[in-house]
Amino acid sequence: MTQPVLSVRNLQVEFVTRRGILRAIDGVSFDIAPGEVLGVVGESGAGKSLTGTAIIGLIDPPGRIAGGEVLLQGKRIDNLDKESLRKIRGKRIGMIFQDPLTSLNPLFKVSEQLVETIQTHSDMNGSQARQRAIDLLTEVGIPAPEKRIDGYPHEFSGGMRQRVVIALALAAEPELIIADEPTTALDVSVQAQIITLLKKLCRERGTAVMLVTHDMGVIAETADRVAVMYAGRIAEIGPVREVVQHARHPYAKGLMGAIPTLESASERLVQIPGSMPRLTAIPAGCAFNPRCGEVFARCHAERPLPIRVGQSEVACWLYDKGKEAAA
Amino acid sequence: MKTTSMSAPEMNASSKIILPTSEAFVTVRELKKQFDVSKPWLERTIERAPKQFLKAVDGVTFDIRKGETFALVGESGSGKSTVARMVVGLLPVSGGEVMVDGISMTATADSAAREKLRRRIQMIFQDPYASLNPRWRVSDIIAEPIKAFNLLSSPKDITDRVGELLTLVGLSPLDGVKYPHQFSGGQRQRVAIARALASDAEFIVCDEPTSALDVSVQAQILNLMRDLQDKMGLTYLFISHNLAVVRHMASTIGVMYLGRLAEVSPAKEMFRAPRHPYTRMLLDAVPDLGMTGRARTPVQGEIPSPINPPSGCTFHPRCPLVNDRCRAENPLPIAGVACHAVEEGRIGEMQSRIRA
Repeated sequence: MTQPVLSVRNLQVEFVTRRGILRAIDGVSFDIAPGEVLGVVGESGAGKSLTGTAIIGLIDPPGRIAGGEVLLQGKRIDNLDKESLRKIRGKRIGMIFQDPLTSLNPLFKVSEQLVETIQTHSDMNGSQARQRAIDLLTEVGIPAPEKRIDGYPHEFSGGMRQRVVIALALAAEPELIIADEPTTALDVSVQAQIITLLKKLCRERGTAVMLVTHDMGVIAETADRVAVMYAGRIAEIGPVREVVQHARHPYAKGLMGAIPTLESASERLVQIPGSMPRLTAIPAGCAFNPRCGEVFARCHAERPLPIRVGQSEVACWLYDKGKEAAA
Repeated sequence: MKTTSMSAPEMNASSKIILPTSEAFVTVRELKKQFDVSKPWLERTIERAPKQFLKAVDGVTFDIRKGETFALVGESGSGKSTVARMVVGLLPVSGGEVMVDGISMTATADSAAREKLRRRIQMIFQDPYASLNPRWRVSDIIAEPIKAFNLLSSPKDITDRVGELLTLVGLSPLDGVKYPHQFSGGQRQRVAIARALASDAEFIVCDEPTSALDVSVQAQILNLMRDLQDKMGLTYLFISHNLAVVRHMASTIGVMYLGRLAEVSPAKEMFRAPRHPYTRMLLDAVPDLGMTGRARTPVQGEIPSPINPPSGCTFHPRCPLVNDRCRAENPLPIAGVACHAVEEGRIGEMQSRIRA
């Protein structure tokens, strides 16, 4: 098996507050292979964006990485100093954020921003970098890039702006792209264009992608594997078909049933009672136990660890029957 | 007693009068909204520039029957929220008419009748963080319509009614003493629904009521809205950009594009056999759970600026079936679809990916 581009091992992120230490990410582990798209889904506050932020080392105090390892091509990057991390960001890990207007500087022309990024990560001269910028814009599907490149971000529409952001992320040919809700601010017709583009570019270059989103539809179409997060932990991780069509974890099951789809106009949507716990009040044992319909004694006492079921890994005691029988 | 004294022809006459109102509870005719987006007067005079108008809504016509959910879908900038605001009277109309239960909301004549009607129309907004006053207790928020319309007078009756409403939307009467910030997004939206129901509203305009919520909470709110509709016979005008949500909620759907209705069809029909090319494009663009690994051919282009809309059919620059007539002439709705290609039979049956 080839070496994964990114390995996250038992990652823990904490926030130190007056009310004590809040653990926002608790023991998250996953790998992303070259050319693979890993979707990370979950509701607000599940810790999906924070996982991405932790990987690129952009967590601000009072937050801190409290444990675990982040490995890029087998080398640890979570313990590097600020300066070496800064060199990795942009060069080896590209980033795409939700709102394309806030991730571009409104005071600089698109050309200046692209050329700056390209020159930071390579030793091209001005005109070479500009030509490269134009090539990148052509690649992300911006019509008449020679003209548009000298425009300011506000002169671009939302979809076009997100294309510029993708061009920026790809500028240094990174090995990994972390895309945090890249299409959430866009309309469906534009969203479809952006997803197709991102997928095509990554396939061509063999770039690994960590796609963070709350939209299961986007994941179902784009990702190869998917991780479902709940309260800072991974509830289920597996191939996208398995998780979408045969979710095993009760939370993942509920989440899939709660999504209204075009396929079936069922009478009622599956409804998970309650809402996600606050970080100050994560229950003991399995974090999902107060909302779970299949809860039993062990769920309150012990925290479930990922158990291999089929091609997926599920953190749920329901699937630990073999062990129980053996004990 | 009255019926016995009534002769047969009289009964016929009265049922004839009632019939149209029960047929269409809400009637929207040729609704228009223009916004003045001209430059300041001095600049305009110096540059000799004419006044500039943005046609946000340009001749929208539809009916909603009692107890039905009519959904407006479209991309941002299509004018769906502007229609919603004009229907409830939050925005003055530039042209056209809105009638609710036979009373005109737009004509100046029957203002007394309109005042009575106001109580029966309520709105639920997208962002439950912004639509509830953060300094009021939830019980005061829900009691406000009751007091404003003088529905109940004694404080005890009002408290009882608020408790009843809180229970109805799945909260506890004890939650009334809390402030909005003590609730999650889904619970706040429940409070907003309770407030809408406080004045015994019959017609509720919902502007993206679940767009700010997580999917599991969205399911709770959508289920609640449907239960309330079944229980109380509510009529909804439901605005959303999410076609899957609309499929779940609506009985009739209107697809908006650049201030005009491209297609109005019963929900089942639209998802089984979408007729307008724009509807087909939208349906094809929605990422869906069953679509793992599907190859798609995304439609190029984006919604154009409404300040300077394309000539003829406003969808023509993005339409695969465009011809010269589309570029020149604005199509009028025929059997719910405003499209020259459909009218001329130039469009084939779409092999819908949805099994109906």
